[in-house]
Order: sequence, then C-alpha cells, then structure tokens
Amino acid sequence: MSNGAIILLMTACFLGFGYMGVPVAFALMAGVLAACALTPISMQSMVGQMFHGIDSEILLAVPFFLLVGELMTSADVTNRMIRLAQTMVGHLRGGLAQVVTLFSMFFAGISGSSTADVAVLSRTVAVEMTREGYDRAFTAALIACASTMANLIPPSIMAVVYGATGNVSIGGLFLAGIVPGVLVGIGLMIYSHFFGPAGIQKARASLCDFADAARGAALPLMIPVIIMGGILTGWFTPTEAGMVAAVYILLVLVPLLARGHIPSLPRDFVYTGLLYSIPLALVAAASAFGWMLAYLRGPDIVAGWIEMVAGHDGRIIMLLLVLLFIIIGDFMDAVPAIIIFMPIVIKLNELGNIKPLHMGVVLITTLVFGLITPPYGLSLLVASKFIGVPFTRAMYASLPIYVVFFVTIAFTVLFPDIVLYLPKLLLPESVGCFKSPTGAGYICPP
Amino acid sequence: MAFKTFVIHRHRHLKWTALDPLENLLMILCGVSIAGFTFSVFLDVVTRELGSAFLWLQLVTTGFFAWGVFIGMAVATRRMDHLNLVEITKHMSGPKRTFMEVFNRLIILAVALAMLVFGIQNGMNDMGSFRAPSLIPLATYTASVPIAGALMVLFCIEQLMNGWSHGFEGPEDSEEYVEIK
Repeated sequence: MSNGAIILLMTACFLGFGYMGVPVAFALMAGVLAACALTPISMQSMVGQMFHGIDSEILLAVPFFLLVGELMTSADVTNRMIRLAQTMVGHLRGGLAQVVTLFSMFFAGISGSSTADVAVLSRTVAVEMTREGYDRAFTAALIACASTMANLIPPSIMAVVYGATGNVSIGGLFLAGIVPGVLVGIGLMIYSHFFGPAGIQKARASLCDFADAARGAALPLMIPVIIMGGILTGWFTPTEAGMVAAVYILLVLVPLLARGHIPSLPRDFVYTGLLYSIPLALVAAASAFGWMLAYLRGPDIVAGWIEMVAGHDGRIIMLLLVLLFIIIGDFMDAVPAIIIFMPIVIKLNELGNIKPLHMGVVLITTLVFGLITPPYGLSLLVASKFIGVPFTRAMYASLPIYVVFFVTIAFTVLFPDIVLYLPKLLLPESVGCFKSPTGAGYICPP
Repeated sequence: MAFKTFVIHRHRHLKWTALDPLENLLMILCGVSIAGFTFSVFLDVVTRELGSAFLWLQLVTTGFFAWGVFIGMAVATRRMDHLNLVEITKHMSGPKRTFMEVFNRLIILAVALAMLVFGIQNGMNDMGSFRAPSLIPLATYTASVPIAGALMVLFCIEQLMNGWSHGFEGPEDSEEYVEIK
C-alpha cells in the first residue's frame, strides 16, 4: 500500500471514529495502530511515542496556567477584575457586553484557558446580562468570542504547545500574540457598541470608584506582570513563570483576598490534576500520530501540493495554510492539530522562507477562530451549555462577529512588522536576530 | 464519607459502586501529582537561585507530571471527561444507541489493551535504561502507560457490562443537563 493511501486510512480512522463519538485521543491512537499494521513500524514503538510526546519540561507550563485559572476562578478573586472593568467601560452603550470583553482581556493575561474564561463569565456577568434583557444567544456568542483572547494574550496554552513542538521561542510567541489579542478585543468592543444590544445605560463611574476598583484588582493584576516580567528578564522559563504565578496566588492572593477558600484548595488541585491530563492525553496521542505522519512523508506530500499552487511565495503559502487551519479548526481541537501538522508547517516555513514565529502567531490566531465555529467550536459549545441556549442559536448570533476574526487574521498575515514588533524589541533572538560581533545591539535578518 | 467526595454522579448507571473508591483514589492522585510537581519546580527555582541546584528535582518533576497525565487519562475514561469531536450518541436511543456506544467502547478498549500490552514490553526494555543524574530506571516513568492501560480496560469493561444490562441512556443526555464537577 502506498504512503498516501496509509495516510488517508489513518485520517479516515481518526475522523470516522471521532465523529462516531470515540474520544479524540483514542480515535487518534486507533488511526496510528491501524497504520502500524500496514508499515514496518511496531505498535510497541508507537505506544512508547505516546510517553515521549509528553516527556517535555516545557509542557509543564500547561498545567500551571490551568492551575492559575482554576485557583482564580474558584477563589472568586475574578470578581474584583469584573468590578474594575465595570468602572472603566460599564457606562458605554452595551455596557455589560463591553465589560465581558475588557474582563476577558484582563483574564487572558492571567490564565491561558478559554474554558476557564467562559466559566467565570457565564456564572457572573451573563446572569446580569440576562437580567438587563440581553439576548441569551448574543451573550453566549460574545462570551465565547471574547474567551478566545485567552489563547492569544499571554500566557497562552496554544503558544506553549506550539513552541514546545515547533522549537519556537515561547516568550516570543507570547509577545507576538498581544497584537492579535488586543485587535480581537477592540473589534469585539466596536461590534458590541454599534451592533449589539444597548442594555441599560449607566452613569459613568467616578474617579473615586475607579481608584477603589483598581486598588481592589491590583493584586490579581500583578500576575501578568510576574509572568511576562519573569520571562522577559530571563529569571524564569515559561514553565517556572506559571509555577511562580500559582505560588503567588496560593501564598498571597488567597490568604489576603479569599481566606475562606483555603480549605477548598486541595479540591482545586484535584480538579486541575484531572483537567490538565485531558489536553496532555491528546498531546500524547497526537505526537504518535504526527510521528507516523512524518514517517510516511506526509509533510513532503502536503508541501508538494501547496508548492504546486503557491510556488515559493511565503505570503501565499501562509494564506493557504490559514485556509487549511480554518477547516481543521472547525473539525478538531487546536492542541492535536498543532502537533499533527507541525512537521508540515516546518517544511512550508523552509519552502517559503517564513519566520517560524510569524507562522506560529498566524496559525494560533487562526486556530482560536476554530473555538467558535461549528461543529467543534469548544468555547461556543461550553458557553451555550452554561448559559442555557441551544448551540445553533448561539452559532447564528456569533456569525456576524466572525468578521472581527477575519480582519485580525488578515492583519496578522499582512503586517508581520507590527505583529512581531514586541518580540523584536524585547526578545530579539526569538525572531532570528543575533548579537552583533561588536557587542552593541543585534543584527536581524530582513 | 470522604471517599465519595470526588466521584462524579454523571453516568451513574454505567458505574459499579465497588469502583467508586478507585475513582476517588485516582482523582486524589491527580491532585497529588500537580501539587507534587508544583512543589518540585518551586524547590528547583529556589535551590537554583541559592546557587546549589539539585538536578534530581527535575526527575521528580517529570515523574509526577507523566504519572499525572496517564492517571488522569485513565480516570477521565471512567468519568467520560475526555474531549469528543461530537456527542452524536446522546441524541440516539434503542439498538442504534447500544450499537454505537458498544462500538466506541471497543475502540477505546483496543487502544487501552495496546497501551497495556505494549506498555509492559516497553517497561521491561526500559528497566535497562537509566535517567541521569540519579540513574533511576526509565521504567519508573514509562510504567505509567501500562498501568493507565489496565485501568482503562477495567473502566471500559465496567461501562460495557452496565450499559449492556441497563441501557446507555441516562439523564445526562438532556440538553439542560450541566455538571462540570
């Protein structure tokens, strides 16, 4: 059987079983084991590959950022950030919708998990939005769209997985994610202002109220400073930064702001222990799938197809990959998608002479769009379930908001200098710059 | 009763009460794993900053991490917490539902059996490989794979037998049903 046919069989097993209801990790492994039967690769080595897929120190950042999100959510410290957002934008047209977006930007700087963001907002602001007469489908759509920023604004779990598998600077990916993250936030605020429900008009908060809310939220808002400050100064790796943020919450935030939550901390650890294993089981299975795909020369085959259309033009290659990942993101989770397609992405980076960091941020921005598109829009699914609105209604409400994501993806592809400005300024090595032999400054490739 | 604390009540009809303490124990081990590697990474940073780094702390960290992933994978199988592309079976009933549920669990069972059998073979080979600097056998890490495989085989059989005798439909199939923890 030819390599192409085996790849098709593997993919058919994965998608077929997946869409019959087999959990993704098992559907992926079933595809790999089917391919083993047709190649000289032993099943034993593929089961071993599952272990090697997660045996990486960098991936430890995933549980830490999930732990940070879980601790912040369950200790109810997030209420202080919601209050700050209310004093800043609550008086605008569609005030609570603006609060959802601004809070999501704050929360994105603390947790790398979109699901945690959806959970917080569904339990808090969504209730108030329903009371003020906002359409529940709009609320679910907006919360789901805003939660995608958690995977763009640092720390981002997608960036950690991308950096770990693609050997790209995670600090650089964190910094590069800021521009698309903020663009999505601004886009959602503009959309809510002009096209969303008006809500109840409220008076502008006084300076005293704002100062009071800012003081209340100051300690939680130190977390992004700790994470990015630690990484940029070189004190911590991204993994260690996640740990320091978790320890900061345990030793400072919870005792000072939520002392009553201390007896529940063991429960938080237990649930986060389960929570982190689920995406990492996907990483384990996807790394075996990706290995088999690479063995069967899948990257060469796909790169050959793309080369036929795009030649060596980096921008067209990138646009074709964006189209491919929009489709992939509709049908599968971002984490296995990144791992499975990484060998193809690396090959195409070389072909089109594309900066790996630029490709990384473009693909992450594309994949976060998959969190709100059917049939596998995880954030939208969770938001519609929490808010109690049928998924199809929430999906229709989110359709006009897709424009925000199309504009952001196009901007990220077309303006690499702006998107990569921060990484180039603060972490020049992450964009391929190297120290000048004279010792003064950096030399950067064009 | 403390042992019931972390056992999820969703899909109760597919579970044997006798295995509840095992689910509870595995959940606690998930918590122990994340607490363990949080503490070991913390100590790693502190000792490094003090100028006397303990390299073996990284081995402790990866050990907690790997065991946590595979134990979590096993317990998520019993709780049906794994990520799905679609929840197609929720909208089915009768023999069609039974066929799909049994088929899906047979796929999971096949993968779990592969993890058990080939994981044991890998573990035997890894007894002769060691991790520097403490020279711990690699098998102490990779043993997590067959153990997770064995647990998943057990949970699959539990669900197949209960589903076959009581049916797979449950109250959690309703659109309004929400239970996160």
